[in-house]
Amino acid sequence: MRDDLALYLRLIGADVRSQMQYKLSFLALALGSFASLFLQFFVILIFFQRFPHMAGWSIGEVAFLYGLASVSFGLAEMVSGGFDRFSQLVVRGDFDRVLTRPADPFVQLFSQEFQLRRLGRIGQGATAMLLGQGMAGVTWTLPKLLYLPVVAASGAVVFVALFILGATLCFWTVQTSEVTNIFTDGGTEMVSYPMEIYQEWLRRFFIFVVPLGFVTYFPALYFLDRPDGLGMPEFFRFLPPAVAMLFLAVARAVWSFGVRHYQSTGS
Amino acid sequence: MEPQMNTGSSPSVFICGSFSFIRGWCLPIVEVADLRKTFYLARHHRGFFGAFRNLATRSYREVRAVDGISFQVERGEMVGYVGPNGAGKSTTIKMLTGILVPTSGRVEVAGLIPSRQRRELARRIGVVFGQRTQLWWDLPLIESLELLRHIYRVPEKRHRANLATFAELLGLEAFLDTPVRQLSLGQRMRGDLAAALLHDPEILYLDEPTIGLDVVAKQRIREFLIRINREAQTTVLLTTHDMSDIAHLCQRMLIIDHGRLLYDGGVAAIRERFGTTRTLVVDLEEDEEFAGVPSAEMVREDGPRKWLRFQREAISAAELVAQVAARYRIRDLTIEEPEIEEIVRRIYLEGIGGDQPSAV
Repeated sequence: MRDDLALYLRLIGADVRSQMQYKLSFLALALGSFASLFLQFFVILIFFQRFPHMAGWSIGEVAFLYGLASVSFGLAEMVSGGFDRFSQLVVRGDFDRVLTRPADPFVQLFSQEFQLRRLGRIGQGATAMLLGQGMAGVTWTLPKLLYLPVVAASGAVVFVALFILGATLCFWTVQTSEVTNIFTDGGTEMVSYPMEIYQEWLRRFFIFVVPLGFVTYFPALYFLDRPDGLGMPEFFRFLPPAVAMLFLAVARAVWSFGVRHYQSTGS
Repeated sequence: MEPQMNTGSSPSVFICGSFSFIRGWCLPIVEVADLRKTFYLARHHRGFFGAFRNLATRSYREVRAVDGISFQVERGEMVGYVGPNGAGKSTTIKMLTGILVPTSGRVEVAGLIPSRQRRELARRIGVVFGQRTQLWWDLPLIESLELLRHIYRVPEKRHRANLATFAELLGLEAFLDTPVRQLSLGQRMRGDLAAALLHDPEILYLDEPTIGLDVVAKQRIREFLIRINREAQTTVLLTTHDMSDIAHLCQRMLIIDHGRLLYDGGVAAIRERFGTTRTLVVDLEEDEEFAGVPSAEMVREDGPRKWLRFQREAISAAELVAQVAARYRIRDLTIEEPEIEEIVRRIYLEGIGGDQPSAV
């Protein structure tokens, strides 16, 4: 485990050095994504000019939710490049190379790429959170401050697990990116708004099947001291770390099953 | 039914029988018995309605990529594994490395079962895919080699010693600090060979190691392979399209087609019997009228470049060159060995049989 972590750090270090060979392109990409996402954020602000509340949530509260979603998703994107572009790896035969090396394929895939440029999305998310909490007048306590990074990381883990599940689909069919995008890009979009606005079946799905509700909604209730419009138990607000770990374990198990399938079909 | 033969057992089998205490060392490093791999490919219906049929009914086509292959490779051997495209070469290699699980049959490499002990085996094998590099594209070569040291957990001292050896044998010094993307194909292949060997593998799989290289670069790679085979006793299994690779490197070759072994035996015997036609490629000084030469047949022509096919027993290459040179001014020339495809075609046509021993 410790060796795996050391290897991971070494390999992403190498990847970052590779990216630094193209400094200009890196800067352009990071700034570009920051700018475009910020525009998106302003669209929401303009929207709130007309409708100052959304399912009882104020504009500041939604901005906080939106920012938290962006930070978690940005963190996940930063580390999941190898899984996000997994279909290319399979098509090019690079996954065969991974299998001929003694290191854990899982570690090798995480080490494929460290997408520094995603700092753009993370920065944008953090800005939105900062603005949002100011507008909503959040009262910060020490437990809240300590819990915030845990929540952001847990949300990232949920998204990472989604990237892994998406990559696993590549073992059966090559055209998977659209399906995966529904859950990753679509998922971020979805958790940027309060769960109350969705239909009952959709809420259930995103709480008990694909646990995106734990990425922003439940923890945000805690930070914002809001009542739960869905009537779920209070302890749900503190479940994100456990849910994230469980979902990651499921993703890893499904992934291993996929690898075995690949080894028997080679496609 | 299929023509197949085996030119006797290798000498080490004999030695091992007599000295049982060295059996462990003498056991074949690769043992393959009745190996099969069957793929089931979904049959696709074409057109608009076909797309719906694909969803509704799943019919499969059975493809036997490897269809009952058996062979052994002794430690320290250098064996050519050849066959036309789609013959089942890379499927075999994938089963030998543990990437693919066999449908049936037995594989053992260095005493391990590849598909079950893949990661353990990975430390003991080296793999070079000629068309795909394992080096980090944007980093200097030396950094890739350093990263591989950590992936394979090679002790630093061992790594430094190996690096020094390979740098010298392959002449890497000049471009160790150059980013891989700026290397020539030949330089990159040399880097890839070093990368595959730094962890002292017992067996090296090479897939088309000289593809796209010029004659000088090819020669350099071949000399290196001969050296590590001789000095480090590294077993080499080589797939290639280039018959001259085999001729330079291997004593023994396996020919595979349609997933079956057509031939397992000496390279010399096969070249003697089926490799009798060669092709002289000449570049003439000017694009002048070319009437041909009596003892060779012109099979292709591209401006001043002519391809002349000739029989080994009818005329020597030197005589043919002299004949051409007597009539035309030659700027450059090469002699091409017969292609693997041509040899396989002739084996089908003529059968192996003949005066060769022990048809299997």
